[in-house]
Amino acid sequence: MIRRTLWFPPLAAALALAAHAQVSVPLGAEQGLAVFRSNCAFCHGADARGGRGPSLITAHMAASQDAEIRGIIKNGIPGTTMPAFGSLEKDDLDPLVTYLRSLASSGTPSAKATGDAEAGKAAYAANGCQTCHRIGFTGGLYGPELTRVGSGRSLEYIKESIVNPSADIPAGFEGVTVVEASGKKSTGIRINEDTFTLQLRLPNGKFASFDKTTAKSVTVLKQSLMPPYKLSGKTLDDLLAYLESLRGSIVTGDSAGKAKGIQ
Amino acid sequence: MRTTLALLLSAAALAAQVTPERLNNALGEPQNWLTYWGDYSAIRHRELKQINTANVKDLKLAWIYQTGRGGSNETMPLVVDGIMYLTAGDGVAMAVDAKSGRELWQYKHKYPAGVKATAVNRGFAILGTTLYMVTPDSWVVALEAATGKLVWQSEMAPWHEGTHYASLAPLAIKDKILVGISGGEQGVRGFIDAYDAKTGKRLWRFWTIPLKGEPGGDTWAGDSAQRGGGPAWMTGTYDPKLNLTYWGVGNPGPDLYGDVRKGDNLYSCSLVALDPDTGKLKWHFQFTPHDTHDWDAEETPVLLDLDWKGKPRKLVVQANRNAFFYVLDRETGEFLMGKPFMKQTWAKGLDAKGRPILDGNAEPTPEGKRVCPSLAGGANWMAPSYNPQTKLFYFQVRDACDVYYAAPPTYVEGKPYWGSVSRGVTDEKESGLLKALDPLTGETRWDFRYYRAPWAGTLSTAGGLIFSGDEDGYLMAFDAKTGKNLWKVSLGTRIVTAPITYAIDGKQYITLPSGGAVVTFTLP
Ligand code: HEC
Ligand code: HEC
Repeated sequence: MIRRTLWFPPLAAALALAAHAQVSVPLGAEQGLAVFRSNCAFCHGADARGGRGPSLITAHMAASQDAEIRGIIKNGIPGTTMPAFGSLEKDDLDPLVTYLRSLASSGTPSAKATGDAEAGKAAYAANGCQTCHRIGFTGGLYGPELTRVGSGRSLEYIKESIVNPSADIPAGFEGVTVVEASGKKSTGIRINEDTFTLQLRLPNGKFASFDKTTAKSVTVLKQSLMPPYKLSGKTLDDLLAYLESLRGSIVTGDSAGKAKGIQ
Repeated sequence: MRTTLALLLSAAALAAQVTPERLNNALGEPQNWLTYWGDYSAIRHRELKQINTANVKDLKLAWIYQTGRGGSNETMPLVVDGIMYLTAGDGVAMAVDAKSGRELWQYKHKYPAGVKATAVNRGFAILGTTLYMVTPDSWVVALEAATGKLVWQSEMAPWHEGTHYASLAPLAIKDKILVGISGGEQGVRGFIDAYDAKTGKRLWRFWTIPLKGEPGGDTWAGDSAQRGGGPAWMTGTYDPKLNLTYWGVGNPGPDLYGDVRKGDNLYSCSLVALDPDTGKLKWHFQFTPHDTHDWDAEETPVLLDLDWKGKPRKLVVQANRNAFFYVLDRETGEFLMGKPFMKQTWAKGLDAKGRPILDGNAEPTPEGKRVCPSLAGGANWMAPSYNPQTKLFYFQVRDACDVYYAAPPTYVEGKPYWGSVSRGVTDEKESGLLKALDPLTGETRWDFRYYRAPWAGTLSTAGGLIFSGDEDGYLMAFDAKTGKNLWKVSLGTRIVTAPITYAIDGKQYITLPSGGAVVTFTLP
């Protein structure tokens, strides 16, 4: 491989693979499982009950039309980490959809949050979540935007993010501590890094740039920069219900409102 | 620079003719860069020392040439008596004044009606006064060096969308132009061709994948050899005294699903030594029998004459994608040594003949199997170099592991034929190394660690320097002895080829293509 594009990120691998074709086999769930395991399980979990992506065994999925599911797979969901599998051919796509269907109809749908979303909204404010998180354009930039967290993550994942944030730190939100030659210590979210330099977002939301060749130390933190929260069962349930209700659309270059200028 | 100047004058006397003799003695013209690897042995070391460990920190931009094309710029420019010849992918090529970066001519391949092919390109070969390149739709094209005018073009194989293509820099040997085909994920059957440099007539073809009844044909179950892959997408090396040319052969297909092609799958993942006059196989050595991890053996087969266990011996060495460094006798193909150069989890070691002793726990599975190195390999096609002063071999390592998945594929012409997919592991960050290794022992002398796994190659100079690039776009210079980073500059996009050096009027230059640009540095 790697004669043509060279760079072979996992996703490109998935897309390159996506077109490996199977013809005239009965379009069974078995075959769809193979496609799912190698392309989707990474985010949606081996059992499709969610991970970094949402559970696909939900009432919502059960109620979706095949064409809608097919469209999501082909086009991805812009502004989210759900990629477009544009080159996935009919011979793989059909069994995959059959497989997802078989899940939706056989398994019990993943649990929904039971708490009170209104009370959860208050708990969100009371616990200072907005100092680090944004919903729409409101809130801090230190943690991931939560505008659409209810669609994007499984309930289990969201819960773990609150009670044990270090369990899974999403790419782009790793914490790094730098000690400069002067002894000055800074900790922030890694925005970018290369062999010689490092760019962090500091807790105040500002960018800072560091020269790694002169720094005393650069340490990638195993701990999340979000503190773990010990909340009462009810508060946690309410908070989860609130977060699960957050299904706003992420504004992208395509969807941003464009002011009419000189035509 | 005194020797260089003298050489410059004698080279000028030879006019623009690049004779086979000049190619044989390319290392004696350090002011030029006459072949893809710089010379037939591919040591990529130059006896130029105007730029050295003491002053490399003063390097300044000399010029930037914009090819006007984006994407992956994998070309290795040639420099012949002050003129730089380079390709820019998709059948586009140009000549520029190597002193100023000003364009002299440009050539655009004319695709036949209905052909929509696109591919990177790795550069030209030159012979006499003619340049040779390949095109994405698998033509060999001969251009007049003085004008960029088309002399002839010859089809390697008829174009079908999504099957074979061509991207390598041709290799000129005597009166022939050698090329190989790409498409190891497309269910092709690989080959290496020789064309008459004058007329473009095909003179021989070596099929890298033998069929039933041919020697090696019994290493493929059923008729799997027909789609067995084994592309040859990197330029070979050549020993004029032995009259043998050395070519790496790529992965067997389908890449990750081996059950449909039981057997060793010759000559995939092998080095083949061919007679350039006839295309006849002299010997082969298979690094990875029955590969299921896409570990093409396209890494440079570097030709070194060293004292092996006290006796002078003609060697060929390769840092293979499978994470082992190999030393073979290049007259016979005898295995002399093989040692892992990074963490690998697929082989317990190599036996006395160099065959891997399998771990038995590295096959891709439907659920995914974690294996090191990654699908892209511990090494890959990034150019290594050998410095005769330090006697060290320098190469770029991709320190990464993958999860490998397998699923039975069905072959459909024009569709990729992978047999499933690989994915980077999430529990360990990939990174890269510039490694200085003693080729006689396989021991590491020093490492320099990059933040990401690189796709760039290296260059060695008599100035005591190793130049390299990284995935974040740095061009860097290192002390060849110690590995100390002496200079760096960010070129703004990932580097996917290797730096070269040349001299004009007694001034030494360092050039590296990066993105759509070709960037050249010199001392103030
Ligand atoms: C890189 C992670 C990732 C991969 C790989 C991935 N997904 Fe997703 N997927 C997501 C995320 C995140 C969402 C939710 C996006 C949102 O709505 O905010 C999602 C949403 C979906 C949805 C919509 C669910 C709903 O209830 O509306 C479907 C269907 C889906 N994915 C199917 C797939 C399939 C099938 C594959 C494999 C071919 C796949 N995904 C691969 C991350 C991923
Ligand atoms: C000090 C800053 C900070 C505060 C306060 C904070 N978080 Fe976080 N949060 C982060 C960071 C940084 C991450 C990303 C790293 C990680 O996942 O652990 C994160 C991740 C998350 C995620 C996972 C998002 C995703 O898409 O993966 C959720 C959900 C979340 N936080 C919810 C909350 C809630 C609810 C609160 C209040 C109870 C809160 N956070 C308070 C910094 C903060």
